[in-house]
Amino acid sequence: MENIAKLENVTKIYKRYKKKEGLKGSIEGLFKREYEEKAAVLNMNLSIKEGEFIGLIGPNGAGKTTLIKMLTGIIAPTKGMIDVLGYRPNDMKNAYKKQYAVVMGQKSQLFFDLTVNDTLRLFKEIYEIQEEEFQMSKKYFSRLFGVEELMDVQVRTLSLGERMKCELIVALLHNPRILFLDEPTIGLDAIASKQIRKFLKEVNEERGTTILLTSHYMEDIKALCGRSIVINHGQLIFDGKTKELFEKYQDNKLITATFGYTVNNSILPDKAKLLLDEGYKKCLMVQKHQAKAVLEQIMGLEPEDIMIEEEEIGAVVERIYQEGAALHE
Amino acid sequence: MSKYFEIARIYMKAQLVWRADVVFNMIFTIARIVFAYLLWGVIFTGKSTVGGFTFYGMMSYYIVSSFLSQLEMSSGISGEISERIRNGTFSKYLIIPVNAEGYFAAMEAGIVLFYLIFDFLAAAAWIVIFRIQFVFSHDLISILCAVFMIFAGMFFMLQLNFYLGLLTLKYQGIGIFLMIKNNLVALITGTIVPLVLFPEIMVEVMKFLPFYYVTYLPSMLLTGYNQEEAVLGAAVISLWCLVMQVVIKMTWKKYIRKFDGVGI
Repeated sequence: MENIAKLENVTKIYKRYKKKEGLKGSIEGLFKREYEEKAAVLNMNLSIKEGEFIGLIGPNGAGKTTLIKMLTGIIAPTKGMIDVLGYRPNDMKNAYKKQYAVVMGQKSQLFFDLTVNDTLRLFKEIYEIQEEEFQMSKKYFSRLFGVEELMDVQVRTLSLGERMKCELIVALLHNPRILFLDEPTIGLDAIASKQIRKFLKEVNEERGTTILLTSHYMEDIKALCGRSIVINHGQLIFDGKTKELFEKYQDNKLITATFGYTVNNSILPDKAKLLLDEGYKKCLMVQKHQAKAVLEQIMGLEPEDIMIEEEEIGAVVERIYQEGAALHE
Repeated sequence: MSKYFEIARIYMKAQLVWRADVVFNMIFTIARIVFAYLLWGVIFTGKSTVGGFTFYGMMSYYIVSSFLSQLEMSSGISGEISERIRNGTFSKYLIIPVNAEGYFAAMEAGIVLFYLIFDFLAAAAWIVIFRIQFVFSHDLISILCAVFMIFAGMFFMLQLNFYLGLLTLKYQGIGIFLMIKNNLVALITGTIVPLVLFPEIMVEVMKFLPFYYVTYLPSMLLTGYNQEEAVLGAAVISLWCLVMQVVIKMTWKKYIRKFDGVGI
């Protein structure tokens, strides 16, 4: 696969005004201001191949949004080189803008007073899409996202989930080679999130669109992204297969066993941590490499039912971020 | 070019959604004419001319200048740009393949075209109701220059407001610039009082400024006054548009890199 984006030693430093507390501080700020520098992205090296579905993970303020803004040209890097599809994004060339799309969960391209069709018609002209291609794409995406009946409805009356689907249609209408998604499932319920994940997977697989996704929801990353990039404090702390990321950080397994009798805790394996105790039902957390031995011990107690699960994703995320913070220190 | 037509069209469509805005805009236009009719009626009591204007000449000037100033709606642009830069949503215009200034020009054109129809109807209705003997120029060059100045003047105001909005990239707050501009515009465009009533020296100074050519001179030309200034006026406002365009280009190039889009 061909490299379509490359970052070399990219740094972005924001200068921010540090205001002293209270009214006195506000008045002082009129005459003398103190600024501090905050490195949102620090010496980052990265390359993206065509057709990849990449998850960009990191806590708030890690530099994910800054990275997307630099890749789309919205902001310029303080230093370093960014090359996407042979363009310097911050040159803001229309030829480049026609090849990507960006959807930011909290920023909308839709006209709230008008219908989705009105906005689509506008974007058809802005991206100079031929009428036939426009009609085909509109039909394809409205069917894919299941919003055919919403195309003539005033946008302000749509639910958050419906609106996000329509934002994605607007973004995908010109068949971009790269799609940047910044928190597309933020605030959505589980069903809408799941639907959007399904559609994005199809767009990536069927159309070959390269997708860079930032999300706080690890379900999004795990379900969609073959590759994950973890950043914290503007630095890259992991870049590799999502599967490997979870293997590396998902240290524990959860074993839930149901017995036909009340089990005394003293006979449970001592290598496991008891998370839930209902007498006849026990939930244990055990380190991955000890899971086999613990399981054998539990089987010896003749359970009626047994369930083995991966550790909760939230705990994995916490571990990843903690490692990032330790590296920063 | 079709993208800019579509932008104008979508903003025109957006205006049609809110019916109350249309009604109030018409009422406002009518109210201004009624107010002017009453005010100038009192001033003209016992006099046949004031400052070289007959009563109907004054009313004609007022209707045209009021109509033009109603159409000049670009002041919202600086506010919108400023707000969007401050809250980070200005990125909306940076990620699509359009020229941001062109986008705002098309947006304004869409809104103006919509109001043009209703403002024209309101002005025409009152000319008929008050039986105003409308005074209109018969000089073709004056009319052509006035029409050109109307478009160039509106474009200049759009440029100015776009530029002032962009200054948010450097100064964060542009309230003071807007206040100065609004006061200057209100005074020099002659929408409050015809500039001919000002001291001559003041009027001469104003002729160097673009605002003189935005509504005042076109209104005077269309109502048959100041014909000797027509060609020079068209040249001056064109020059101002060119200068402003250079300033915008330089400002954009220099300051757009300061846009941080809000948030890390």
